[in-house]
Parts: sequence; C-alpha cells; structure tokens
Amino acid sequence: MTSTWQKLRLDPVARERMHQRDLLVRAIRQYFWSEDFLEVETPQLVPLPSMEPNLEVFETTLRNDQEQTARAFLTSSPEFAIKKILAAGYPRVFEVCKSYRNKEGLSTRHNPEFTILEWYRTSADYTAIMADCEHLLRAMARATNKDTLAYQGKEYDIFAPWERLTVAEAFARYSQIDTETLLSDTGLRSAARAKGYAIEKHTTWEELFHQIMLNEIEPHLGASRPTILMDYPASLASLSRKKPADPRFAERFEFYIAGLELGNAFSELVDADEQLARLQADRQEKEQLGRTLYDIDTELIAALRAGIPPTGGIAVGVDRLCMLFLDVPHIADTLFFPAIELWPML
Amino acid sequence: MSAVNGGNVKKGMFILYNGVPHSVQWHEFVSPGKGSAFTRSRLRNLKTGTVFDYTFKTTEKVEVADVESVEMQYLYFDGTSYVFMNPRTYEQVEVDAALVGDVSRFMKEEMIGYIQFFNGQPIGVFMPKKMTLQVTYTEDAVAGDRANAPKKPATLETGAEIQVPLFVKTGDMVIVDTEDGVYVSRAN
Repeated sequence: MTSTWQKLRLDPVARERMHQRDLLVRAIRQYFWSEDFLEVETPQLVPLPSMEPNLEVFETTLRNDQEQTARAFLTSSPEFAIKKILAAGYPRVFEVCKSYRNKEGLSTRHNPEFTILEWYRTSADYTAIMADCEHLLRAMARATNKDTLAYQGKEYDIFAPWERLTVAEAFARYSQIDTETLLSDTGLRSAARAKGYAIEKHTTWEELFHQIMLNEIEPHLGASRPTILMDYPASLASLSRKKPADPRFAERFEFYIAGLELGNAFSELVDADEQLARLQADRQEKEQLGRTLYDIDTELIAALRAGIPPTGGIAVGVDRLCMLFLDVPHIADTLFFPAIELWPML
Repeated sequence: MSAVNGGNVKKGMFILYNGVPHSVQWHEFVSPGKGSAFTRSRLRNLKTGTVFDYTFKTTEKVEVADVESVEMQYLYFDGTSYVFMNPRTYEQVEVDAALVGDVSRFMKEEMIGYIQFFNGQPIGVFMPKKMTLQVTYTEDAVAGDRANAPKKPATLETGAEIQVPLFVKTGDMVIVDTEDGVYVSRAN
C-alpha cells in the first residue's frame, strides 16, 4: 500500500488539502481567541478517564524509576479535566487535542486517534453553544474563502440560519412515531416491530432508538443546510441537564451536515449528586458490557461540589469537520498518518 | 439456515433481509453519539436489483443466505445474456448482463469464474480479480510526451479500453485488475 506521504509527494492537489486543514484549525483557534476564551492543554494520559458506557478506552501502565506501577489511560475526551478548570474560575475555556477511542471500527468516519475540539461557556446553556457552532463554521468558511459548503457533489448553506429540530419532532416527521410512543419501552418496541426491525429479548430501547435514528432520520439531517438535532430523551442525557420545563428530555444537541454527525453538546450537568449517580450507573453498564473498568473520578465530583455556574459545552470532531470543508469522502484523506495505513491488517 | 450477529455483517456476504436474499456491498461500523454499536451497510436486493442502505444492531441475528458457489466456464454472449457452462456436468446457465456487470468488459470465451446460486438461480458472478489479456491496439508513445501524459489508452482483445503506461505496445500481454478496471503490470 502506498503511504500518504508518498501520495502527497506526487499529488499537488492532495498536498494543498493539508494546507487547507491547517487554515481550518487556525480559524478554529482564532474564533475562540477572539471570543476571549482561554486555550488549555490537558493531559491525554490520565489515571481515571471518563465513563461513557459504550466507549472503550486504551489502557497502559505507568512505571516510575522504583518499578512501581499504576494504571494509565488515554482520554476519550478532555471533558473531565476542563470541568475542573471551570471550577477553578475560568469562564470560557477551549481545547483542541487528540482523543482516543478503542474497539470502534476503522472506517470512513472513524480513526481510533482523532482530533477533538471542546469548548465550554459558563453562565450559558446549550443555546449559546448552538450560536457558537454557527459562527465557528462561518469563520472556517471565510478562512478558506468559501461562501457555501460543497460536499461530494451537493451544496450546503452554512450562512443561512441552521435548522433546529427536536428529537421528538424528528421522530414524528421522519418516522411517524409520536412522543408518547418514543418514550415508552413497550411503545417503541411495537412501533419498531411494525416497521420490520428485529426485536429480540435482549434488544434495548436505546438500540431501537438509535437504529430508527440511523435508518430513518439521520439521512434527512443537514440535507441542504446544517441541522441542530436537540432535546434528547432524558435516558440519553449523558452529561447534560434535564429540561426544566419538560424533564422527560435533556438539553443535549448534535449537529449534522450531509448526514455527518459533527458534534455533541450539552447544557452541562453541574449537580454533583446527580453526576455521581449517573457515573455509578454508567460504571455498572460498562461492567455489563464487559468494558474495561476503573473507578469514578471523585475529583470531578469535588469540582462540581465546589461549584460551576450553569455551563454550555460541546465536543466536535475536527477531522470530520475537515472532511466536510476539504470535500473528501474518507477521514483518512484529512490525516498524514491514518490508522488504516498504520494498521492495514485491521 | 445459519445466522450471524449484525456486528459481523460484512461486504461480500449474502444475507436474508425480510426473507429475500441480498448481497452486502459495503459495511461500516458506527456508534452514534455515545450510543451502542451498529453496522451500517449497503444492500443489494438480488431479486429486484434495488440498492439501499440499512443499519443493523450489532446484537441482532441476521440470517445468512445459503448461497452455493459453482465453478463455471464462460461460453458466449447471446445479445442479452452471458452463457456459462459447468465443466463437470456440462449444464449451461444464462446469466443476465446486469448481474455480470462491468467485469464483462474483460471476459473472453473459455475463461473460468464462479457463479453463485440461491435456490437454483444465479445471483452473482465472480471472475478472477486479475486476468491476463492481449493488447490489440495502442499507439506508440511519442518521445517527450512522458511528463504530460504518463498513461495512454489501449484496446484489449475483449474490446475493453484501459489506460496503460507508455512502454506498453500492441501485441503485449498485460495483467488487468478486473474489479477496478485498471492496468496492473505487463505479463512475462
């Protein structure tokens, strides 16, 4: 197999793409600096990584000169570290760094090591983050002289107001599933069965939610302009707070362009007790799924207990954003050393 | 009837989807926003030819279609179908041109390939990935053209036209990748 550096040597167009990627990453930093954010660097090697049940970590062993050892993990996101920094009293923080997720396929959209952008605004909620997303992508377009986003033969208007669609609206519109049915375990099972999905004893509500989302809803998202898909059922809240007006849903959104899921945002959960309870539940789920187990990061709970103002935050896949702006079909086309090249046997 | 988990649905497999055989043309892992894992796939309905995307739960049971692969020799094209013969039983089968697809550009009589059958019906044709074919015509390269046109067109004995390096001459035997439709090397 020809390595990327060999291909770049012979292909000036592909070589120019990497300059464009550089411009895009600079535009990201420029945007947050101009918004008076603090750029931080947090460790990628940590004793206690975050606890998303479905994410598998990379584990290694840290050794000192006395041959003492400790477990060490590569982070799947800088989220826990940044929340401690917020607790220290910084109001606006962002980071562009590498993150690591194991046991996911190497595919057109996944590289096990990827560049993540996270930003957090205190005294704000997820609506402030939605506005940031719109402004950030427009800044990236201006930095690369684009007045529209052309991706794989289609155009996407990122300068028009983005579509805002709740998860409940999306299921009603694209799947003819009403809110009561969506939120009920038996309701969703029978609706999914009627649609022909395989339902087995072990099939969970979450699996059916996402299977319907991937098959029937996602292809419609971000079809001509970006879509902000917001207000997830509370059981998929992850680290977001519930909607005060309707606690069946949580203040979480993802944004999509061309069916690509680009970022996942929350009105952050800042309640220490609820956070601890969710982490305990997540840890239990990890155990059931046979994932690598480790303890809950009590420093995070202590930071929340010390107090963080209401905060909006998001994680964005930078490589995927670059795919979009560089108009390439494969995440590997945005990287000098894609994993599929480093491990061709996988 | 055997079954696999949705997580093991892979390109090249034949599966039963709603009881109908489908070939898996593409697959990819996906894990949506902190959710569980799924397999995206592109399926081709082998009865209607319709191609569509479908996402499986990695935990669901997917039935594998009982597909038999038989070695067959290509005989001739009758204008609408390609006629193949089983060299052991001399049984002949007509395969629709659409099912044979692009690889037909590289097929010549007496070539051996594999045909896949489901319930006695041909549902897939697999010719060797690499074939050796003769170049029946290509223009001689002009000295000095090298920098601008590192490749030139060449017509093969089957009528297919491919791009070849400048040093290839009329009458040469070349190895062709029949899946990608590209020149691989000169045959010795």
